[in-house]
Amino acid sequence: MPLINLENVSFSYDNNIDVIKNVSLSIFEGEYIAVIGHNGSGKSTLAKLFNGLIKAQKGKVVVDGFDCADKKQVFEVRKRVGVVFQNPDNQLIASIVEDDIAFGPENLGVKRQEIGKRIDFALSAVGMQKFRKSSPSRLSGGQKQRIAIAGVLALNPKVLVLDESTAMLDPQGRNEVLEVAKKLNKEQKTTIINITHYMDEVVNADRVLVLNKGEVVLSGTPKEIFAKKDKIRSLGLELPVSTVIADELKQNGIDLNSEVLTENDLVSSLIGWSEGLCK
Amino acid sequence: MQIDVKNLTYVYSESSRDLSVKALDNVSLTINEGEFFGIIGQTGSGKTTFVQHLNGLIKIAKDKGEIQIGEFCLQDKKCDFKGLRSKIGMVFQYPEHQLFAETVFEDVAFALKNFEKELSESQMEERVRRAIELVGLNYEQVKDKSPFELSGGQKRRVAIAGVIVSRPEILVLDEPAAGLDPVGKRDFLSLLHSLHKNFVKTIIIVSHDMNLVAEHCTKTAVFSHGKICAVGSPKEIFSDYNLIESLSLDLPTTAKVVRELSKKGINIDCDLTVKDFVRAVKERGAKL
Repeated sequence: MPLINLENVSFSYDNNIDVIKNVSLSIFEGEYIAVIGHNGSGKSTLAKLFNGLIKAQKGKVVVDGFDCADKKQVFEVRKRVGVVFQNPDNQLIASIVEDDIAFGPENLGVKRQEIGKRIDFALSAVGMQKFRKSSPSRLSGGQKQRIAIAGVLALNPKVLVLDESTAMLDPQGRNEVLEVAKKLNKEQKTTIINITHYMDEVVNADRVLVLNKGEVVLSGTPKEIFAKKDKIRSLGLELPVSTVIADELKQNGIDLNSEVLTENDLVSSLIGWSEGLCK
Repeated sequence: MQIDVKNLTYVYSESSRDLSVKALDNVSLTINEGEFFGIIGQTGSGKTTFVQHLNGLIKIAKDKGEIQIGEFCLQDKKCDFKGLRSKIGMVFQYPEHQLFAETVFEDVAFALKNFEKELSESQMEERVRRAIELVGLNYEQVKDKSPFELSGGQKRRVAIAGVIVSRPEILVLDEPAAGLDPVGKRDFLSLLHSLHKNFVKTIIIVSHDMNLVAEHCTKTAVFSHGKICAVGSPKEIFSDYNLIESLSLDLPTTAKVVRELSKKGINIDCDLTVKDFVRAVKERGAKL
């Protein structure tokens, strides 16, 4: 059974234009999903549908057996799906890190002792144990996003949705957040849904969903998706930089004879190419 | 106009013993006219504090350094900051958050109404039309719309039109591509290049995106803890692996590949743009 299931879901903010159009999709436990699409393609709206922040006007969103449209069940949904948004400064509310992380479980009526354990777990999962008593306002952007993730993890979610959570971070902050997501996926089997504009963040996903005008127009492994170069470009997207370089090389008569998605792919195929010439 | 910064120091909350932070520490830098200048460094390294000095948003404290931009001496009490600000356009992060007027026309015309009061209505309309067209929007279609009805990418364009309408010679942009989708980003950079060929003589860009810096900048300064620790071409900067690693910065994709290949004895000599990388690989292939 899929963990998240959307069946013919449509959503519109003003009952006029459908921002999400008749979308059906299934996401399974333990998957690492990347969602890409140009500005205004409906990515963030989709994220909000996943945990019942907004309700679909048509169709059905079911998470782990619970219906997002049912007021009584939506809290069960939110325990299972946590969302981290773009701006770290908009998501932290308490003046001490541990209070901020405790906010979610406290609201769910989790017992005090258990909350302590969850804070320990959440902080160590994001590598921020040292900052338990710190003030969030004194942390860097990457550290703040890790605390925002810890706040979500304290609810023991099955799904972590990152809605452009790295867009405002410097390269180091970005890596910190991505490493945490990868680790959670591997060690805790947490399902990750990463919504992003960085094509380089997409290449390690198990599956990529491409949105255009509120519809899922492509779905597949990064290799399958980025092999459709013209389609990707026509959708207002770009290929990973390494793929662009391989493509340029090919147009200049240097065919690397392999699908290049990452820097490592590019390096190893160039080494192969060079050795081939030396023979 | 050339920019000369000498021994600039800036301390936030200097009077407080606990909270004072030295954001800039004896920084000197020259930026020549015509550069497409990149400023990189970790969050909190002083990049934004530095560029906010360039149009006098932050004033130089007494005896804390000098900035000379063309005829303007910014440390001088009599400095004509209004004149300076009409020559140096500043685009902040998420510039669309700065839109405020009821129509796109009013928003773009705001700077002109303040800087160039002598313009007639028709001259003003012509300048606003030109600015809106330069950023790639259709004047007739957008001029009477509320800026808030537009898409994110369009809003950003309107915000930039509002800066370039006063025809600044120097354009300073703080993380201008953050949050744009890939095509939005590509269009935006080609807009910057077309402005650079037009009346904008110097572009200064603060960015975390090393691929952007390698691809577009002629020169780069690296900030760390309020100091400038290196200035040079992207090739020079991104060949100094120790420096980049010690500052926890990232390398552009081309530089990473060049580095890995050189470990295998394959040397690719290029300026780190994708185009030149391809040229260098091709050249190497021809030699073998």
